[in-house]
Amino acid sequence: MIGNILLTLALAASVFTVVMYYLDFKGYVNAKIYARLGVHTTTILVIAASILLFHAILTHQYQYKYVYEYSGSGLSTGLLLSTFWAGQQGSFMLWVFFSVLVGLVLLDYTSKRGDLETRVMMVYMLVVFFLLILVNPTLKSPFNYIWVDPVFINLKNINHTYISMPFMRDFIFTDTTNNQSFVKMSKELYAILHTSGIPINEFIVEGKGLNPLLQNFWMQIHPPFLFIGFAMSAVPYSFAIAALIKNDYRDWIKQSFPWLLGATMVLGLAIMLGGYWAYGVLGWGGYWGWDPVENSSLIPWIIGAAAIHTFLIQRKYQAKGGNGRFVKTNLILSILMFILVLYSTFLTRSGILGDSSVHSFVAPGMLVYLFLIILMLTFLFIGLIGLAVRWKYLEKFENFQDNFLSRELALFTGSVALIASAIIILVGTSAPIWGQAVEIKFYNELNLPIAIIIGLLNGISLLLSWKFTKGKSFWKRTRTSLVITIIASALIIILGGINDVMLAIMTFSSMFTLIVNLEIAFKIIKDKALYAGAYIAHTGLALFMLGVVATGGFTQEKQIELEKGKPVKAFGYNITFLGYKPVENGKKFAFNVQLQKENSVEIISPVMYRSDFNNSLMREPDILNMLTKDFYVTPLSYSTGDDTRNHNGEKFTLKEGEEISFDNKTIKFVEFDFPQSEMNKMRAGGDFTIGAKLLVIDGNNKYEVEPKLRSANGNRSYENVSLENADLRIELTGLNAGTIDISVSKLSESSQAAPKKKTEVFTVEASIKPFIGLVWLGVIITVLGFAVSIVRRTKET
Amino acid sequence: MKNKYIFGGIIILIFFSFMAYLFTQTNISYENNFTKVMNSNKTLKVTGSWVRENNYVYDKEKNLFMFTIKDENGNMMKVIYKGSIPNNFESATSVVVTGKYKDGYFHASDILTKCPSKYQEQYTAGS
Repeated sequence: MIGNILLTLALAASVFTVVMYYLDFKGYVNAKIYARLGVHTTTILVIAASILLFHAILTHQYQYKYVYEYSGSGLSTGLLLSTFWAGQQGSFMLWVFFSVLVGLVLLDYTSKRGDLETRVMMVYMLVVFFLLILVNPTLKSPFNYIWVDPVFINLKNINHTYISMPFMRDFIFTDTTNNQSFVKMSKELYAILHTSGIPINEFIVEGKGLNPLLQNFWMQIHPPFLFIGFAMSAVPYSFAIAALIKNDYRDWIKQSFPWLLGATMVLGLAIMLGGYWAYGVLGWGGYWGWDPVENSSLIPWIIGAAAIHTFLIQRKYQAKGGNGRFVKTNLILSILMFILVLYSTFLTRSGILGDSSVHSFVAPGMLVYLFLIILMLTFLFIGLIGLAVRWKYLEKFENFQDNFLSRELALFTGSVALIASAIIILVGTSAPIWGQAVEIKFYNELNLPIAIIIGLLNGISLLLSWKFTKGKSFWKRTRTSLVITIIASALIIILGGINDVMLAIMTFSSMFTLIVNLEIAFKIIKDKALYAGAYIAHTGLALFMLGVVATGGFTQEKQIELEKGKPVKAFGYNITFLGYKPVENGKKFAFNVQLQKENSVEIISPVMYRSDFNNSLMREPDILNMLTKDFYVTPLSYSTGDDTRNHNGEKFTLKEGEEISFDNKTIKFVEFDFPQSEMNKMRAGGDFTIGAKLLVIDGNNKYEVEPKLRSANGNRSYENVSLENADLRIELTGLNAGTIDISVSKLSESSQAAPKKKTEVFTVEASIKPFIGLVWLGVIITVLGFAVSIVRRTKET
Repeated sequence: MKNKYIFGGIIILIFFSFMAYLFTQTNISYENNFTKVMNSNKTLKVTGSWVRENNYVYDKEKNLFMFTIKDENGNMMKVIYKGSIPNNFESATSVVVTGKYKDGYFHASDILTKCPSKYQEQYTAGS
């Protein structure tokens, strides 16, 4: 209750703030003091609500629907923190939380710089206001009580002492398909519990738990970074609108620059943290899958990167007075970045991508769906109207001559290439809206040439002077780098065996960027270290691109069956499965695999376990990181060795009543032996047995046999039949609707006839990812470069 | 000045036509009617419910995973997937498979499992 009150008050405070800033803008005396008070009040209320939510999670207050849905009692504090943003309500809350924190910093920043505060904070607080509507009790508040809309709670989560109470009869339901019982937690039940003096917190004793895929370190840090990035992306937007309001386009670019850099840096880092999660935890085997959710946050990042480069040109031109170049472009890109963040939210939260993404989504309900559209359109229209009103005026100062060999043209072309890439990803990612999807090829084939162009342009732009470069001096500057690049990339292409033309060009392009940037970075790092940001960032980008070429083009994969104790040779390693041991209090199993190459012996332990949360087998990869490559192992399956199937026999598929002949004997599939009781067990997800009744006729002898399929703890095993008198071995290999697959062989010829020694087999997918370290190193260096540039651009304001 | 726009216009035109072309080459439609799926030779995304009674088969030697899905009209279709059993598969109620139908099987290149929607939604829908 308090939580919802806090959020509603915060909503009111944000409206108050926007109004006060508006009055201040109109020239009312003292309005600014109230507006600032409003910013602080909103911030304090949101922080208080966030602390309250975290407290509710820590103390397991299952009367809150959100806590019940996403949390559980057995989680560590760190994982309980992840619960905060495990669901829609909480992640919106996180967004609001970071938005008010960013708002506080922004208030401090703008209040010290001219007359910025009024306009910028007015727009920014309008954004905060809209986000607060999203976590309002009528939409997606995490503080809504569990009984407001009836919820069915599994009986196992209810305190057993209360279940037998007479009034409970009306509220217990059983799902006949899986024999599970649920309590309907509704307002009526709440009223009864309340009058009986039973606190909800004692009635519901356990939550649904946290999705096991989210139970790891990367999921503790990826969402916060993403939402800091989202929150910060509203700042360049606010600056752009503020500039349009005042019709003054000179200073905003300078003042917005550090924020644009910051938003892009944080968003990029967040995206790659997500990539690392996919690689190291989800077991995708890679860092990028062109999944719509990844794409949707990449699009605003690319626009941010494009904006940085056109911002740079405007700044440079301002040195000579005036507004500078690309004023319109910069306004549009600043607005677009935030709109695309909102669009990303719409795509991922509206349920539209439900059928096309590995991320699972729950449709949030019509009201939220509509509101997400309103949210997006409102800020789009604000931007469009602002631009339309000022367009005539803006057009006046766009009259510049371009020289072909100039840095600004190269930078601008680079931005255009980035925007093209954003359009490609936007089109592919939006396809599900009209019931389509694209193959991954679509993204790869279109983005590869763009990446090549960007790499080349980056190198070239740095070798060109602003305004105009003489062909001769350009050649003079270029040749050393060019020669080094050609030699280095030739070496890589030959030694690495790159025989794909596009990848070879990509290698050249990345090397060119790398060499040019390294050269400049080294030259200036001593005297003008703060100016080295861009070169450091681009060095990182070049390393990243080289890493992409290596992993994208040269990853080797292989499925390997590992018998316990028996080394198998693959990728130049002797791989031995040593056995498994329970970890994390026996909840999970670590499968130890020894990797031996010459004198080095390493052990890695991929994990498999059955999760109660979704009643599924979960697999976690393990990685041996080396300097030049990763050895990546995803567990696939494990069998204890009871399986003595022999697939050498002759294979048949039989319908009920059908017969086949083998070695002058007739084998008839009479019927399935699958009584109702077993069928129910199977539906309930329990252990079950299905038999196939067979009749074997060997001359005058008839035998009735029944091979069986047993399922125990989700593992399937087959019980086979040997008929010594008929010299037959019949193995069941599969059961389908109405048919069975059997494999028949002569017992005397069957090599498997002798009792086989029990062997444990662990099947894995092993792969070698060459130079994947470059991808992560590239990201880290790029982020560092961004940080340096942010310091520089902040100093300039 | 004029040349700049013409040049830019041509580049944009080439870009969009190339993108449109590749889009038509790589696009995948959704189709939930199995009769149509079986008569199509295009790559499709197909949503169906896993027929639990038919179980699934995982052939370890060939690394093939096979199961049966059913559409809303009750049509059944066998699905073959090269790879192991996806995470979450056992608890899936509905699956989205991407691939082509050929020779009696739907050859999937990708399986997306949808876990049971919350019980409450099923129940309120049913009552």
